[in-house]
Amino acid sequence: MSSLPPPLLERLLAWAYRSDPSNASILGDLREDYATLAQVRGVARARRWYRREAVLLTAGRFLHHPILVSTGRTFMNESFLSALREDTVYALRSLRRSPGFALFTALVIGLGVGATTAVFSVLEPFVLAPLPFAGADELVWISNAPPQGATSQSAFTSRTSNLRDFRAQARSFEGITGYNAFFEQGAYSLTGDGEPERLVGVGVAHDFLDVLGVEPALGRGFTEEEGLWVGPPAVVLSHGFWVRRFGSDPDLVGGAITLNDTPFTVAGVLPASFDFSSIFTPGVPVDFLLTFAVSDETDRWGNTMFFIGRLRPGATATSAQSELDAIIVGLEEAQPDRWGLGARVTPLRDKISAPFSSALALLGAAAATLLLIVCVNVTNLLLARSPGRAREVAVRKAFGAPRGRVVRQLMVETLVISLGGAAVGAVLAWIAVRLVSGAAGLAIPFIDHLSLNGSALLFATAVAVVTGLLVGLIPALQVADGGEAGVLRAGGRGAGTSRGARRLREGLVVAEVGLACVMLVVGGLLIRSFQAVTAIDLGFESDQAVAWQLNPSVDFETQQMRADFYRALTARVADVPGVQEVGLIDALPLGRERTWGAQLPELVGSDAQGFSIFPHMIDSGYLEAMGIPIVAGRGFLPEDGLGNEEVMLINESGALRMFGDVDVVGRSLRAGWGEERRIIGVVADIRHSSPEMEAGNQAYFHFAQVPDYSTLDMVVRASAPLDRVTQAVSAALAEIDPSMPRRESWTLASTVDTVLSPRRFTLRILGAYGIVALLLAGLGIYGVLTQSVAERKPEIGIRMALGASGSDVLRSVMGRTLALTTAGIAIGAVMSLAGSRLLSSMLYGTSPTDPVAFVTMAVILLLVASAAGGIPALQASRIRGIRALRSE
Amino acid sequence: MAKLGEFELLVLLSILRNGKEPYANRVREELEEAADRSVTRGALYRTLERLRAKGHLEWEMEGSEIPERGGHPTRRLMVTDEGRQAVKRARDVLAVFFDGLDPVLDPKP
Repeated sequence: MSSLPPPLLERLLAWAYRSDPSNASILGDLREDYATLAQVRGVARARRWYRREAVLLTAGRFLHHPILVSTGRTFMNESFLSALREDTVYALRSLRRSPGFALFTALVIGLGVGATTAVFSVLEPFVLAPLPFAGADELVWISNAPPQGATSQSAFTSRTSNLRDFRAQARSFEGITGYNAFFEQGAYSLTGDGEPERLVGVGVAHDFLDVLGVEPALGRGFTEEEGLWVGPPAVVLSHGFWVRRFGSDPDLVGGAITLNDTPFTVAGVLPASFDFSSIFTPGVPVDFLLTFAVSDETDRWGNTMFFIGRLRPGATATSAQSELDAIIVGLEEAQPDRWGLGARVTPLRDKISAPFSSALALLGAAAATLLLIVCVNVTNLLLARSPGRAREVAVRKAFGAPRGRVVRQLMVETLVISLGGAAVGAVLAWIAVRLVSGAAGLAIPFIDHLSLNGSALLFATAVAVVTGLLVGLIPALQVADGGEAGVLRAGGRGAGTSRGARRLREGLVVAEVGLACVMLVVGGLLIRSFQAVTAIDLGFESDQAVAWQLNPSVDFETQQMRADFYRALTARVADVPGVQEVGLIDALPLGRERTWGAQLPELVGSDAQGFSIFPHMIDSGYLEAMGIPIVAGRGFLPEDGLGNEEVMLINESGALRMFGDVDVVGRSLRAGWGEERRIIGVVADIRHSSPEMEAGNQAYFHFAQVPDYSTLDMVVRASAPLDRVTQAVSAALAEIDPSMPRRESWTLASTVDTVLSPRRFTLRILGAYGIVALLLAGLGIYGVLTQSVAERKPEIGIRMALGASGSDVLRSVMGRTLALTTAGIAIGAVMSLAGSRLLSSMLYGTSPTDPVAFVTMAVILLLVASAAGGIPALQASRIRGIRALRSE
Repeated sequence: MAKLGEFELLVLLSILRNGKEPYANRVREELEEAADRSVTRGALYRTLERLRAKGHLEWEMEGSEIPERGGHPTRRLMVTDEGRQAVKRARDVLAVFFDGLDPVLDPKP
């Protein structure tokens, strides 16, 4: 199924044509042509076309609307349009007279529009845009039902026998399919024409594309036969990979490529609109799909798959859940020893956005707050300008302009400015979106496809117009109401000087400070969390360490040969100058992980619950290369290999949790499917899953004794500059196995960096918003006090003439500043306290009421406010009594 | 008696020619290809409305099998007898005016 036109525009059209009985057919016509165009000229072109048509159709609809054109009595009749034109010309002329004001105001509005539009662009794919699947709302995610507190992926995945039985028994679904969640462990090397390359392929059930409703761009999906346990090998290439590696060669389809020395038929190419990784595995690029058999063989591997189901018409996620629950009860009764049964049904869209919803909601809220601050600020700017306008308005009214006309004219002026702001905002948002989508290592769905599209531009314009209407109304009403003859007589002192007007402006400043305070406190809490996360001791040293994934091109006949190969390889790498230590592991920390069951031998056969452990296959150099200390006993020695006693290491927390004691050297554990193994050492904990997550029960096996891995990661600790060592080691690897595909190496520091990236991402955006909020608040205070000093000049002059000193005046103005700021901070603090609870899921090691964050932010605000209020205060203190009065 | 504009005439002719598929999208395609002019949808839809108001055109809603339409119906356009008469009159007028003009329009070298 081809992609659909932008939903926002379609909704706009549906609205514009809502009274036309033919509206559905018009939408249908457009969809049809959109699909054709998308197929022939590409989606980008089709979207541009649709945008133009939608705008033209909507505009045409209103401009030719019979009511608007013929009756002449309604809101937007001909005379209204011509008046609007006049107002616009007048507005442009009056703005040209004060270009500084116009430019500055547009800039401030642009900040708000830019901030909201950038966030809108990030949020849009989650909230508005349909998933790139036909009938995406019918799709549900079916994970396993994990035990309380379980976090590892194997607790959420399901066995293929579950898929088989759900398919056979559940009536709520048109189809259920799935993919192998542990695909990273199967790494493929592509050989043949060109450089050998290491690729990532994901195993899927043969009907994966059918159930999702994804039509290959070229060729076909998988056949049922290809989905069998030893079916004919076939792949469907991702669009990006096909373009990058094969230069979009259409003849490739139907041919074959060689993966791990096996020819695979290229069945098809996925459409560009469906990027597996950006939806299911953000941050992990996927080059192709292959089949994953739903058979007894794969069932033995335990929990491997995530399922995706398409609901039948009428079924809901809830009804499907109850049906699966009943099926599971039936299966459990029929097969009492069956394990790993469970199902949890959620709409696919929720599943994809769930991990990010709190961060995204926070960004949305922050952008909205910033926009609010902008509104308050601009209202104040306009109010400050009111007295100047009052005279001009009074003249117009004296010549008979009705009040409505004056208000409208002032509003048009604000609207013109805010449309300028929309342009500024669009540019700012464009820059922001470029920065975000270019940021490497951001594991957020859809982020690669981020762009400032038509919907975003529409949104920016809408925000600007609404902002303009909101902020323009109060000042316009105030100016228009300003006394007529009175203003003319009073020689320019207009509406602005009234006590009420000043109160209003001061109230707005207090609100602004309050909102800025909330932004700053939220930012402060996130900074504190970030500090706490970066301060975590990961348990290994990430500096001066580089890693490679090894994927030898050799086929090993025996495990001994495989072990010997790796031993020779590490020995050769250890000889490279600058290499201090070298070690091997099946998967480095902060990457992928799996879990095994484990039991104490004395409890085997009893009803006692087993434990779950994270297994790692390492060589004798790994712990030292990573800088992981041994707490008791010893680590692996080069001699602990094949044919010797089966031994293992466990970590401290694991020892405590499983044995209730750290001193467990010499005791035994039964892990996975293997035999009982003697524990020869206890090692310190490391954070393997994520920095924030406490260490689980970690077990280390010798890679030669437990060869349960398809590739190994090699880590090198360097004593010389990293880039020099990296080059030398890469050269050494090429010597050992010239056709071993090498994706570039990566540093452990960069891995840690990537893991922290979502946190840093939110922090940066909120930090930028916080700074803008702070500046705007400072500006607001400055503006209001400057204005009030100017207005009170004669009064201050008299007071000075009567003996008040400059410092008295300074104190009085600063006092006002601090009073306004403190009031704002008080309100902001209360709002922050109420709101920061919503933040708690994003905080680490920081309480939502963290006093340091609150106090620091209050101090920063007070400092900025003092600086902002200090300038007018100094000016006031220099007023010379007589001269001030004379100038009146 | 309402007169036909040039574009209106082309639209009516195109509907008559697309006897099996008298749909707005086909009409627009034909106008763009055969008459080599770019047709915005707004212009076409307004013309359809206008022709209907003049009594030259009627339509009924019809379900569509085309999957891309996402279930949206389509308009089956039908030229009324009155419309047919108007087209014929336009043809006759044009024929009178074209009569004998060939040597002027396509002068032989």
